[in-house]
Amino acid sequence: MNIVVCLHTPPPDPDGPGLGRDDAHALVHALTLAQAKEDSVTALLAGTSHDATPLQRALVAGAARAIRLGGEDYASVDFHTLGQALASGIKHIGADLVLMGARSDDEGLGAVPASTARNLGFPFIAGVEELAAAGPRAVEIVVRGGGRKRRLRVELPAVLSIVAGPRALPAAFNRTGSPRSIELLTLTDPETTVVRRRTELLGKPEPASRGAEEVKSPSDLITALIR
Amino acid sequence: MDHRVNQWTWTRWPRHDSLREALLPNLLVPIDLHDGVPTGPSLFALSEGRRAAHAVGVTVFAIVMTERHLDEKVAAHLGRAGADKVLSCEGPGLGAPPLDVTHGAALYAAVERIPPLLVLFPAGGAGPQLGPGLASRLGGAFAASADLEIGEAATPLADGVARIFVRRWRGDRTSYRRLDPVELERPVVAILPSGGPPADRGTEEVEVEVITCVPPAKVGISELASEADDLAAAALASILVVVDPALGDAAVAKISAAAPAGVAVVDAVAAAPAIATCVPRVVIGVGARGAMVWGTPRSRVGAVLPGAPAPKQQRPPADVLLRVPAGGSLDAIVDDLIASLPALVARAPSEPRS
Repeated sequence: MNIVVCLHTPPPDPDGPGLGRDDAHALVHALTLAQAKEDSVTALLAGTSHDATPLQRALVAGAARAIRLGGEDYASVDFHTLGQALASGIKHIGADLVLMGARSDDEGLGAVPASTARNLGFPFIAGVEELAAAGPRAVEIVVRGGGRKRRLRVELPAVLSIVAGPRALPAAFNRTGSPRSIELLTLTDPETTVVRRRTELLGKPEPASRGAEEVKSPSDLITALIR
Repeated sequence: MDHRVNQWTWTRWPRHDSLREALLPNLLVPIDLHDGVPTGPSLFALSEGRRAAHAVGVTVFAIVMTERHLDEKVAAHLGRAGADKVLSCEGPGLGAPPLDVTHGAALYAAVERIPPLLVLFPAGGAGPQLGPGLASRLGGAFAASADLEIGEAATPLADGVARIFVRRWRGDRTSYRRLDPVELERPVVAILPSGGPPADRGTEEVEVEVITCVPPAKVGISELASEADDLAAAALASILVVVDPALGDAAVAKISAAAPAGVAVVDAVAAAPAIATCVPRVVIGVGARGAMVWGTPRSRVGAVLPGAPAPKQQRPPADVLLRVPAGGSLDAIVDDLIASLPALVARAPSEPRS
């Protein structure tokens, strides 16, 4: 079984792990699943060479391959375009199971996994907390919704978005690997040109209009919150 | 009827049975049912839709996905909260908790029937499962935690006609994006916050239209086990206190035990999956890991941080910050916070200011 983990570049944080929170948990689930079944894990990221830190972390953590989708400035595209690009890359690589972090750490839409699934033609399930093997072509997952916590058996292929849970991340995530090990995949999909027009969906950014107010007591905190 | 607002049409939409509905801008609210009852955030979303309808002239539709015929009491409840009409998508398996693979097609059938200007998912419900897939199918924009703003467009459409915007806040709270579905010429799919008790803005006399849905031929998903979600209340909460587990289990237990009705208290790590789906109106983070919660531009975030800031420590994304002074007692701060929570419940704004 080929497992692809899609990563994104988190906001700059010198003290951070270099991986998005949900992305890191997706990678841990993929590596744990692969270890149990002797499957391979490929880390995939759309971005420039400057954005490749998450791929380095994935290689050090145990991913067999790390592939960067190049050729476009993915930092300013919307989730439709990014999903299409990732899907094109995944089709090229080949995947039975695609894992992605539920939300990015900056815009936090959680829409790229759904867009990727749609472009792949795979079923999509969001907010997966736990993941385990369930035979050669299926996995067991835990999701919440509708007031229920459910364990489901999902036949592959599928795209699952992973939400960060209580599981601790391995220490290997704090080291870096050699950037030379990262493969480059450039997409030449003529349809991408059409989809890129949708970037206006990002809307107009507006600066925050208020700063943080410092208070001295809990009652002042409550008063300020309801002011 | 304002004809300029009614320019919201989309030539690639399929033919519609109702000419009026095809031309009018529509606002759809997928309803979450827990044990057959609409959740609080669902009713709040309808209430918000009704507020927008007054200003913008949209028609508010509640979408209910159900396995069997919709209870009339539920329909009346939805009408009272603000729905003009109820679309009841009925089919095998639609009574189960929603997933894109099992419910996505039924939702899309409703959206094809009633082309939307906005689709507003309630907080703590099906939004994260169904919203991104719907936005992807529609080619529309998506906002995982947003609120509505009624205002004038940069280029006014008509005298006295307001425009409806969806504001999507960044996680680091440095900025938000204002999405205008009319300007985008595509629908906006958004998840609204849990805004507290809804204002009954509508009437019980509501029309129910049934859409019979055929289940997908091959789902590839089977349920192995199901239990009550112990974090469901946190996902639906409009006032949420998130406690860093580094402060100890006793801190979470103490605040939970003393929290008044209407306040959900969770462990920041153990409840991470629920926190990921909640869109509360007011959040108080206690401890360094407490304030990592999403919200809308209208959400209010407070943070209680132990100790003085380190030189390189970034300011947390909070509106109000309380630092426990070096040598100060966090226990005493927690006690004072507990004593202040009833005032928050009593006075927290449940009605957004436009």
